[in-house]
Amino acid sequence: MTLPKFDLLQPSTLGEALEILSTTQNAQPIAGGTALLVEMRGRKAEPGVLVDLGRLGDLHGVAPAANELVIGATTTIAELLKNPHVTERASILRDACSTFASPLVRNRATIGGNVAQGSPAGDMAPALLVLDASIELRSVRGKRLVRAVDFWKGPRKTTRKSDEMVVSIRIPLSQTPWLSSWKKLGLRKADAISVASAAVRLSLTADGKCEGARVAVGAVAPTPLRLAKSENALVGKPISREAIAQAAAAAAASSVPINDVRASVDYRRRVVEVLVRRALMEAAWEVLT
Amino acid sequence: MTDPVTPKTLPPHHLPPLKQIGKPLRRVDALGKAVGATQYAADFTMPGMLHAKVLRSPIASGKIVRLDVARARALSGVACVLTGADLPDAKLGTDMPGQSGRAARTGSDAPVLATDVVRFHGEPIALVAAETLEIAEAALQLIDLQLEPTPGVFCPEQGLMPGAPNVFGTDNAVASYKIRKGDVEKGMAQADLVIENTFFVPFVEHAYLEPEAGVAWVDEQGTITIRVCTQVIEHFRTVAKALGVPQNKVRVMGTMVGGGFGGKEDVTVEIFLALLARATRRPVKLVYTREESFLATSKRHPFKITHKTGVKRTGRITAAEITMLADSGAYPYLTPYVLLYATGMAAGPYKIDNVKIDSVAAATNQPFTSAFRGFGGPQAAFAYESQMDEVAKALLMDPLELRRVNYLKTGDTTVTGQAIRSAAWSEECATRALAALGEKTPDTPDRKVGRGFASYFQSYGRIMWFHDTSRAWVGMELDGTVIVRCGVPDIGAGQSNSLCQIAAEVLGVPLERVSIYSTDSALTPLAGTSTATRQLYMSGNAVLQAAGVVRASLVKKAAEMLGVSPEDVDLADGEASVVRSPGSGAARASSSPSGLGGGMPLADVAARCASSGLPLAHLAQFNAPFTEGLDPETGRGDIWPDFTFGAQAVEVAVDTETGEVEILKSAACHDVGRAINPAAARGQIAGGSHQGLGYALMEEYVVKDGMTQTPSLSEYLIPTAVDFPSTEAILLESGTGVGPFGAKGIGEPSLTPAAPAVANAIADALGVRIFSLPLTREKVLAAADAGKNVVKPDRHW
Amino acid sequence: MGGADVSERKITLRVNGRTHEVSLPGHRTLLEALRDLGHTDVKNGCEKGDCGACTVLLNGRAVNSCLVLAWQADGATIVTNSGLGTADDPHPIQTAFADAGAVQCGFCTPGLVLSAKALLDANPNPTEAEIREAISGNLCRCTGYSQIVEAVRLAAVRSLKGSGEASHRGQSATDGSHSPSGSRVTGEVQ
Repeated sequence: MTLPKFDLLQPSTLGEALEILSTTQNAQPIAGGTALLVEMRGRKAEPGVLVDLGRLGDLHGVAPAANELVIGATTTIAELLKNPHVTERASILRDACSTFASPLVRNRATIGGNVAQGSPAGDMAPALLVLDASIELRSVRGKRLVRAVDFWKGPRKTTRKSDEMVVSIRIPLSQTPWLSSWKKLGLRKADAISVASAAVRLSLTADGKCEGARVAVGAVAPTPLRLAKSENALVGKPISREAIAQAAAAAAASSVPINDVRASVDYRRRVVEVLVRRALMEAAWEVLT
Repeated sequence: MTDPVTPKTLPPHHLPPLKQIGKPLRRVDALGKAVGATQYAADFTMPGMLHAKVLRSPIASGKIVRLDVARARALSGVACVLTGADLPDAKLGTDMPGQSGRAARTGSDAPVLATDVVRFHGEPIALVAAETLEIAEAALQLIDLQLEPTPGVFCPEQGLMPGAPNVFGTDNAVASYKIRKGDVEKGMAQADLVIENTFFVPFVEHAYLEPEAGVAWVDEQGTITIRVCTQVIEHFRTVAKALGVPQNKVRVMGTMVGGGFGGKEDVTVEIFLALLARATRRPVKLVYTREESFLATSKRHPFKITHKTGVKRTGRITAAEITMLADSGAYPYLTPYVLLYATGMAAGPYKIDNVKIDSVAAATNQPFTSAFRGFGGPQAAFAYESQMDEVAKALLMDPLELRRVNYLKTGDTTVTGQAIRSAAWSEECATRALAALGEKTPDTPDRKVGRGFASYFQSYGRIMWFHDTSRAWVGMELDGTVIVRCGVPDIGAGQSNSLCQIAAEVLGVPLERVSIYSTDSALTPLAGTSTATRQLYMSGNAVLQAAGVVRASLVKKAAEMLGVSPEDVDLADGEASVVRSPGSGAARASSSPSGLGGGMPLADVAARCASSGLPLAHLAQFNAPFTEGLDPETGRGDIWPDFTFGAQAVEVAVDTETGEVEILKSAACHDVGRAINPAAARGQIAGGSHQGLGYALMEEYVVKDGMTQTPSLSEYLIPTAVDFPSTEAILLESGTGVGPFGAKGIGEPSLTPAAPAVANAIADALGVRIFSLPLTREKVLAAADAGKNVVKPDRHW
Repeated sequence: MGGADVSERKITLRVNGRTHEVSLPGHRTLLEALRDLGHTDVKNGCEKGDCGACTVLLNGRAVNSCLVLAWQADGATIVTNSGLGTADDPHPIQTAFADAGAVQCGFCTPGLVLSAKALLDANPNPTEAEIREAISGNLCRCTGYSQIVEAVRLAAVRSLKGSGEASHRGQSATDGSHSPSGSRVTGEVQ
């Protein structure tokens, strides 16, 4: 099938783009297009107007500030993968980028697009959840910062209003070192949608006490989930295999996955526990051994 | 090791050491493809060309209660809309294209366009041709189609039950076979142990990278000309029959095929294009989308296979009782033959004296099933090789040792009583494949490592009662270059190249001096289908014969020119030269007028042949052995010209917590008879193995109540470059095949052992067997759970 | 449908060193535009970014041209496989693909050559794992990728030898003994 017809608008300033979104019915931003065009070809989305963000230079790139990393929404996954600030300060995001689709897709797909698409299996979400990231939305009405944990509302549903645009992802930088790990299970090793995924970050004292924990999972609920119960099983205790096992079991208990052609409910729930446990073990490996 | 088998026949020409055969030369088609110059079917356009689309059934079983195309016809830019009502007699003969003149089976025809009922999700109902693709797509939306769902048949067992709806005809049994050898009851009574298991394999999609495509037009002579990617240019006859026109008024110009694997063996776009070109008198193009390619074309057959094996404590198999049930889908297509292949190979490469096999294929309202690399062989092999390991396990015997006791050897007979005449190097192949795995990788706490292998035998060449033939024309030009004309469709396996390499060898020229014109039903001699691993065997022999005749002219003339007898002349490196033949006093000429090796340029010889009227070109026909079919009661008789033997071994690591399986090592060893081009042969083995590993671990075309659940390459996953390591290819060359220079076939056989090897390796790792493909993570995880406390037998490999 | 209300615009596509000005509506993909311009070496295998047959280099990056709108490529530099070389003057990667037996049906080949080009531009001496990763968005159904991986190594080794650098990473692709897959590389044969 050819693509459904639409008007493609290519504003050169953010203001113009926001103006279009605020005044146009059935308009949708497009950046890399790697998800949206596929949906449109399958007639699962038929926006009448697409607003191309490709010319908005100020939405692009990684800006390191003293206490946060500001990632422009149209920064591609491939660019994040190579970015030294991401590698140094938010390595789990880099890890998630390395398992994202295929190299060809990574050269087009953007972090903003993946966030805004709102797929429960999106590979950026768990990493952003454990990084305490916020998503910056702009519209002609102004801007607002939404915590990642509040951003996703259901399958393909986010807090973004139709006149709003994701303009940046903000990742706070911590002064203390955190340990992190990303685990993704797809049905093949490249270019596969997650059947389940897990991102963890731990802050451990020198003697192995867990001072802070973040656990998030993907593809096992209507939205990506940050798992307070798993985190609570860890924080304030010495890190141990038992605590990790409890946190992993809590992840499975918190999951509400679906049956689809890729995997069953039972399988997803079972492997998400494994992924969370393995991610925590990997993150805490040096302390545990 | 098995006794070496003396080649039955020497190569037809007493050639000195081979110069072209056996060399990993760059294939003649490689560079054009590497630089993107090769034109595929979808790349051709014609002036004034229309674009076609097909309206397909959105349901699996139903009545067409309304089909009104008036609005579509009225849409501006629409040139033509056709429905079944416009072509009441157009049937798609799904019997094999006739080379033998045998009558088509009754009841095997599908309507070109459904008229009263639809039998599968995706069945074609109407055709549109329009000025642009977008207009054609828009016209489809304007067709008023109303369907009333009817009860369907969604599994073959249901289809064979009394009272099941008839998909077509009077019952749903599309084909069945019986094989009776010896006395199976007596054989079972002799057994110390009887082991019975049932195995399942799913629908599988070919997933070649090139979706089906073609362009058709009516030429100035009124000939309907179809340029199309196909494995079978002889479908010009199928098209002629469907359109009711003489066969000499349809021409199929094949293109380079972007992958076939059996999926372009049946008619795809040809009849639609012919109908629209005839109706509009304009060129028409039709290119399937990926989703349409999945929906519209055949799949590999799902099978349920039960093995009951009687065996002595020594490992000797005394009896095999096998039942097979295949899903034919909504139309027969090649199901009867696929079932025959599966049946004839059901017991594997083993000598078993008492055999009873019953097989049946049933029609369902599911995707139709037909040819797919291996043609019933891979399904049979998954079952018989899984079963062999289960028998070994029950006997506490090494799986290789069990097979060693039972392997077919040259002179033994298959289940149908056909004698194996060529080398049967099963043991050698299995031993070498296993040895290539090297040192075993140790287990880790949640990763269990296992090893498995599978042997197989697989026919090459078509069923002998098809009376298969191939033709090729070989000629030398006056400058010493060579042209091959042969109707062979090149589907990427190096079909054209092999023929060129054979012609180069026989005529003594470097490969780059050979050109080939192929795959045109009007202009190149018909070579038969690029299917059944038959082209090297059939067309290779035809080229060998044709080139031999041209060589005889050249040698005769060169002998005259050199003043020696013809036996003392050799053709090599583009020259004729004198060689010392046994008992002759002649020495290599050293004073010839020009030429690198001191010989005479073939251009000079060719010119003298031409001026003296000696033929420089020859059209040869190669006939396979002809037989007349199996005894319907006992299944006794010879089915195929010969068999390829081989084995694949793999080492896997199984994640016992997620069910992920990683292939750590893979090696395959096949007796290819003679590797015409070893690089190409290795490519067939590596590629066939990879497809087989996909079949093993990830591929299933999921159908639920007749509806496709895996409509594109996002859901139907095939292996990427990071999923599996390369399969090490070990080529053995017994020189005993019936192909040119003793070659056997390797295109299809290369896929066959992969899946059972993986299944056996996982069973080795976990101590628990999985009886169905694919070996998904969920199944593997369940097996890992079940195998937690299983003690595994020790193996020396 | 309702097509007439969608306006066309003139854009500039710089393809293989040639500049094309074409008028297109906004919903046309770069894949469609390139094929309409006669660049049929850019193959349509799925139109969903699943197969990589339509790979082109867009400003030096390998992308699925089916997932780029033609207008988004306005003014960009595009290289297709045939822009790298021709049968008379092939690019070394194209030659390596032909020599190593990496080409079977050939439909995936133009895209794979470009993914290999993007890799070798960034990493002239890749390991087997890096090669496999770099081509993991390009599906091939014929080869099992073995000889494709060998071809990319062969191109790298030839290029490093040509530039005087020795290959120390991975295994030599020309000694014929142990190529990345453990099976022989069959280059340098003509």
